[in-house]
Amino acid sequence: MSYDDVEIEDMDWNEELQAFTYPCPCGDLFQITKEDLKLGEEIARCPSCSLYITVIYNMEDFLDDSNQKNNKGLEPSKQHPIVVA
Amino acid sequence: MNDPQLKEDDVEQEIWSWGAGTDGQLGTGRLEDNHLPQLVRTPSLSSVPAISFLSCGGAHVIALTAGGGVLTWGRGNSGQLGLGDMISSLHPKPVMRLGSYIITQVSAGWSHSGFVSDEGKLYTCGDGSFGQLGHGDYQLRCFPDEVLFFSDKHVDQIACGMRHSLALVKGCSGEQVYGFGAGKRGQLGISKKIQTVNLPILSSELEAAEIVGIAAGGDHSAALSTEGHLYTWGRGFKSNSDVYSPQHLPSPSSFSKVALGWNHALVLTDEGELYMLGGKHHGALSDSEMLNAMKFLPAGDFKEDNFQAIPALSGIKVLDIAAGAEHSVIVTEDGGVKTWGWGEHGQLGLGDTCDHTNPQTVNLNLKLESTAYDVKVYCGSGFTVAVATSNLRN
Repeated sequence: MSYDDVEIEDMDWNEELQAFTYPCPCGDLFQITKEDLKLGEEIARCPSCSLYITVIYNMEDFLDDSNQKNNKGLEPSKQHPIVVA
Repeated sequence: MNDPQLKEDDVEQEIWSWGAGTDGQLGTGRLEDNHLPQLVRTPSLSSVPAISFLSCGGAHVIALTAGGGVLTWGRGNSGQLGLGDMISSLHPKPVMRLGSYIITQVSAGWSHSGFVSDEGKLYTCGDGSFGQLGHGDYQLRCFPDEVLFFSDKHVDQIACGMRHSLALVKGCSGEQVYGFGAGKRGQLGISKKIQTVNLPILSSELEAAEIVGIAAGGDHSAALSTEGHLYTWGRGFKSNSDVYSPQHLPSPSSFSKVALGWNHALVLTDEGELYMLGGKHHGALSDSEMLNAMKFLPAGDFKEDNFQAIPALSGIKVLDIAAGAEHSVIVTEDGGVKTWGWGEHGQLGLGDTCDHTNPQTVNLNLKLESTAYDVKVYCGSGFTVAVATSNLRN
């Protein structure tokens, strides 16, 4: 079962992870890439636990963003460690 | 140097931590989860005064020492440790920038931190992208900076939630509560829906109540008045019901402490009775079988905005409470620590990763010489810290 429903506007764009993120109750971050969003994926998962959230967004908003500065986000880059220690 | 006891003449102290630890938040020097309580024994801790108060955030910890000093550890990627960098720390480190002040109260949010001095000044650091640092911008800060908005006021307390902050100000005309940061769920208590504010705004509806304590957790906010009245605002404990101005929750009991999770609250009465608000899925988050069983309970079995007693705690006096994002920790009259809720990261300290809907006893293995000790508990999002202190003079 989805832990929560979160609007895309409430998610943070994380340059390092190249993903939209939202705090997970375990302390890590739910993550979803622009590539995922373009494919209509609505589940953002946490790399550290079993929980996931449902992302509320308009798929059309992500279908034509190749001119945007963040188009590096189109390359999937999951499972980046978020610890910088 | 490995002596776990703090070197202060009359005080013996042990700090235990368990749960999610991959950002160093357990202070054990390791980047891993621990399913059983670990003794935080660090050279840096053994040379400092006893810890008087802790606050645990998303993945970092702020510790207040007896003399008004501050130590931080855990995740530091947003500058929330106040050490001048964006690096996580596996061990407690003193916040040198606050060294010339006597800090009296601290709060750790998801990725920001607040510190209050004896002079009533507020200092904040960490992620500021929602305005939650209160400096009038959305900048991240790696060192605690004074919140100048309060320069002619006396701040008494700070409470940091996921993306917002509350400040309790004491003045000659009474107490005032201010909110800043994200406000979409009503968590600022300023009677309107507002995306973000980066300067403190007065929560005018609380002006009549004499507020003595504030709490922020997830997108929830709460306050306690001198009469023991509980006020809550922000994200509702019932799904999809946001409250934009502080609401007094009527109860025959007088409350002394409130602890906020992300979907539940614990409240403690003056008599040591514990009640829970919300928490529909408390203890069934990763257990799909249990979650499904709960889903089919008839509506009405969860009177979510009402105070619910915990049947297993009937007749047991509770001394301290703490709420993680999805778990609960209490100290009972006999000094025992009990936990329940989500357990996937070992945050219940029971040696496994199971969820529990009923309070379970944690085996702390205290090694204190004195039998007269006091246990306090603190929760971060997915981890738990217990501090046992004995006064050898007793």
